[in-house]
Amino acid sequence: MTFTTHFSHCSTSCKDNSKLFSSSSRSSPAIHHRFSGSRRLCRFRINSANGNPLEALPLLPISESAADYDYDDNVETGDSHSTLSITVVGASGDLAKKKIFPALFALYYEDWLPQNFRVFGYARTKMTDEELRNMISRTLTCRVDKREDCEQKMNHFLGRCFYQAGQYSSEEHFAELDTKLKEKEGGKSSNRLFYLSIPPNIFVDVVRCASLRASSATGWTRVIVEKPFGRDSESSAELTKCLKQYLTEEQIFRIDHYLGKELVENLSVLRFSNRVFEPLWSRDYIRNVQLIFSEDFGTEGRGGYFDNYGIIRDIMQNHLLQILTLFAMETPVSLDAEDIRNEKVKVLRSMKTLQLEDVTLGQYKGFSKGGKLYPGYTDDPTVPKDSITPTFAAAALFINNARWDGVPFLMKAGKALHTKRAEIRVQFRHVPGNLYKRNFGTDLDKATNELVLRVQPDEAIYLKINNKVPGLGMRLDRSDLNLLYKARYPREIPDAYERLLLDAIEGERRLFIRSDELDAAWALFSPMLKELEEKRIVPELYPYGSRGPVGAHYLAAKHDVRWGDLSGDDS
Amino acid sequence: MASLSSAQYRSYSSNSFRQSSSNGQRHNHRLLSFCSPIPRRSPPVVLCLQQSQGNSRPNVVLMQDGAVATPVNLAQKKEETVKKLEDGLLSSSGISTEELKEAAGFDVNENESSVSITVVGASGDLAKKKIFPALFALYYEGCLPKHFTVFGYARSKMTDAELRNMVSKTLTCRIDQRENCGEKIDQFLKRCFYHSGQYDSQEHFAALDKKLKEHEGGRESNRLFYLSIPPNIFIDAVKCASSSASAASGWTRVIVEKPFGRDSESSAALTKALKQYLTEDQIFRIDHYLGKELVENLSVLRFSNLIFEPLWSRQYIRNVQLIFSEDFGTEGRGGYFDNYGIIRDIMQNHLLQILALFAMETPVSLDAEDIRNEKVKVLRSMRTLRLEDVVIGQYKSHTRGGVTHPGYTDDKTVPKDSVTPTFAAAALFIDNPRWDGVPFLMKAGKALHSKGAEIRVQFRHVPGNLYNRNIGTDLDQATNELVIRVQPDEAIYLKINNKVPGLGMRLDRSNLNLLYSTRYSKEIPDAYERLLLDAIEGERRLFIRSDELDAAWSLFTPVLKELEEKRTIPEYYPYGSRGPVGAHYLAARYKVRWGDLGIEQ
Repeated sequence: MTFTTHFSHCSTSCKDNSKLFSSSSRSSPAIHHRFSGSRRLCRFRINSANGNPLEALPLLPISESAADYDYDDNVETGDSHSTLSITVVGASGDLAKKKIFPALFALYYEDWLPQNFRVFGYARTKMTDEELRNMISRTLTCRVDKREDCEQKMNHFLGRCFYQAGQYSSEEHFAELDTKLKEKEGGKSSNRLFYLSIPPNIFVDVVRCASLRASSATGWTRVIVEKPFGRDSESSAELTKCLKQYLTEEQIFRIDHYLGKELVENLSVLRFSNRVFEPLWSRDYIRNVQLIFSEDFGTEGRGGYFDNYGIIRDIMQNHLLQILTLFAMETPVSLDAEDIRNEKVKVLRSMKTLQLEDVTLGQYKGFSKGGKLYPGYTDDPTVPKDSITPTFAAAALFINNARWDGVPFLMKAGKALHTKRAEIRVQFRHVPGNLYKRNFGTDLDKATNELVLRVQPDEAIYLKINNKVPGLGMRLDRSDLNLLYKARYPREIPDAYERLLLDAIEGERRLFIRSDELDAAWALFSPMLKELEEKRIVPELYPYGSRGPVGAHYLAAKHDVRWGDLSGDDS
Repeated sequence: MASLSSAQYRSYSSNSFRQSSSNGQRHNHRLLSFCSPIPRRSPPVVLCLQQSQGNSRPNVVLMQDGAVATPVNLAQKKEETVKKLEDGLLSSSGISTEELKEAAGFDVNENESSVSITVVGASGDLAKKKIFPALFALYYEGCLPKHFTVFGYARSKMTDAELRNMVSKTLTCRIDQRENCGEKIDQFLKRCFYHSGQYDSQEHFAALDKKLKEHEGGRESNRLFYLSIPPNIFIDAVKCASSSASAASGWTRVIVEKPFGRDSESSAALTKALKQYLTEDQIFRIDHYLGKELVENLSVLRFSNLIFEPLWSRQYIRNVQLIFSEDFGTEGRGGYFDNYGIIRDIMQNHLLQILALFAMETPVSLDAEDIRNEKVKVLRSMRTLRLEDVVIGQYKSHTRGGVTHPGYTDDKTVPKDSVTPTFAAAALFIDNPRWDGVPFLMKAGKALHSKGAEIRVQFRHVPGNLYNRNIGTDLDQATNELVIRVQPDEAIYLKINNKVPGLGMRLDRSNLNLLYSTRYSKEIPDAYERLLLDAIEGERRLFIRSDELDAAWSLFTPVLKELEEKRTIPEYYPYGSRGPVGAHYLAARYKVRWGDLGIEQ
């Protein structure tokens, strides 16, 4: 191998790998450290329990201080026998090219990856290592704020990328992969991560082959799976059952990349580490919660997969519901993955099954604006002409527990809308017996406080408050107390995939979906989805680039809610 | 120049208290008596327009301050030639054309009343720097009644023209409304007159009265006296003004500035003396801090935001800090100050007033009396300040970068052995169910490193915080904090704990903030504008009632006496420094850390 010499110096890795990368369901101390913990310790590069190089950079991933080198030296002197191999199954796919390889490179660039790692691409296409590297290199970019050494780093990274062609259902081919992996691992204890970036129908085949033929003999083997996790309760349960034939729960990492978004991560921090928010987090003060997702483009010729699922399965049942549970959960005992996931499951199980009357559907139609014609959903050649798959949906959900009884949680998700964004809006109740009532006009609910967490784009947190307009009169105004991430944190925010890949490598399961969580999530949506399909409910058509079907307003009105994103005073 | 309507419109959005201000005056027969049922329309004025866009209730009944002006019949005794000249100006360019123009917009009612504002002590510093400019700004924005005149009264001999000259030097136009400014200045100046006289001479005030009458031209007259004079002649001036220059038909109100005595006794004596000549409703004790935009906003923030209301108690608030600092010393004008000291000059009035507004229970309404009742309740629930809860300081000279900044006692107007504090910190407590045990810390000083006034509210730490490990050993260092910056650069911000973006889990305190200058491009009116307008409108909300003043003094008087009896030596701190370290120890005693001197500040 031309590159082995290249790696010969990378003989070190974690001192304590067995512990760190053990597949025990509880977080190892190391994991706990990166996650909940002791940034303080890390600041001084104290190499506690694990001696994990991942630990080296948690505080300031841009490492410049001498301390970092000291640290690395420490690691170098320690013995390190384990290796990490990340196999991207479906390496030639779109997601792999656009997200997975770049995320791996970013992790490598910022020194989050263990020293002894390799990346393997696996797909059906015949390709040489060189061709894979070529392909990957086209999508790698360096962080805007850290262009230094980028070329060099890129070359190092590419040198660690290999390719293996094979069928997804062929145990033999996976055995070949295993041979190749072993060869690179050089007899060291090996940890293996498989990222399945493949269509759902071959999930189980791949898992079977990988598990039977390419599992690590000495370290852990973990498998990351992407949505869709089935299309209803039954198919999801079936999938889980099949996966569990070959994998234990601890080995399955169901990814929901929304959980890796910075502001979703921050949601718990905001809530649990600020005294000013904690007392407000209940039906006593919160009038409603809105979870909003919108895209400003349609399927654009790639509607094949989508048409089979629709927006509810594609966005609501996973991304928005996950955010909802994080938002609404009770305080967990600790920040450990199982504690958090237990609380999330409790929320899901307290929720009322979604009713058909609490859902509004929409589908975008062609629209011509300024001489340009935007195609409707069914104009997409990959979509059946008579498709009634919703590209927009709004739903009202309720959590029947002590904290949230009666508070509507409204979700809205759509394609081909006027903006692109994802946000959480928390509308508070009006001030009882407000002294300034007369300044507000008749609808007191229009002047309530509102907390907005904008997940994307332009991450921000802002709190709408009532405020006096400066001047001699007494006119009130809603202004924002705000925190725009761009202004406060000029560094680029890591992509969700980086965080999630790193968590999977570290065995941190907090942001991955457990089987019972998935079941509970499907249980909420399945009956309604079935009914929709059985009754062939026709979605309300809305023009491409519009604000979505007006039905969403009526749904909100039914529950005394007004959408915060379409209220006029907000951009 | 939509005088009354401006008042009216101003009240539109705020009619609850505006209306009430007239209710509040039910016992003021004089006031009610002149209320004229003038049909009022809504002439759009700069301010008024803006005001009326809101959720205004269109039918406010304004039962006061109907103001009329007339083309004036001037027949001055002195300086007749000048006067005549100006008469000509007034009637030709000054009033007739202009007012006719305006008249087209709304009713002209010859029986409207007039307002005369007499600035007693017109040649003084405050008058020049604040009062005349504020009056002009009000005029510029169309907030003054249509028929108003401004009189300067002082001992110096001066002609009207000289006064105008003097006034014109300090008038500036709002940055965002420079249009017609020159013209407006001219128009305003034509309404300014001067009368020279002794402060204790009934005759001279009688002469002023005559002049005022001439300008009022038989209309119903309302008169506002602004006493911008040293405290020792307050009473004389009040006596003369009240007995010889009161309005015959409308109201007469007197604005007095601090100091209102120097302890309980002298303040009570002053109040008693004032009340010999004035009723409580006529006395407008000004505390210009109450006219600051963000102090006004304090109640709005608190009472119109559900997210703040539940937090406003000992259950969530760990301490409250009221901080005032100036970055300069007495600079040769320590004569007055040395007799009072920083506690009387800043704490007992400005900071205590803000504290009372901050801590009061929800008033029944926004009426002046309701609010002032609640403020008095706070003051009366407070523990009298004790000597051990006070730290005092005095600045000493300091040389920096070759420049020597003089110490306090280097000021020629200050006695060499003065122990007057130029800095003080104090811990106060309100022994009521809402605030029991919550320290309210005050700090005020001159010649410090920065200039500002702010309110800081530090919240308790999160009990059983999941993220404790990320915070370090002192949980109180990572609590939420609400900061209301009164000046300069008005702002509100809330410090929150937040995750630093990135793959780790590092927490950070960042601000949810609202910087006024970015959100509101209009210049914020000076406190004096608001207060003058309120006085003209009879809105007493921002003025200090006698019982309030008594209660305020009774908190501070014992400690002030003790300080003086013991001649307690202040702790010295260098000019331009952060003040004496004693303030930190005082705070530490109550487990507080000053928010303005933190590292992250």
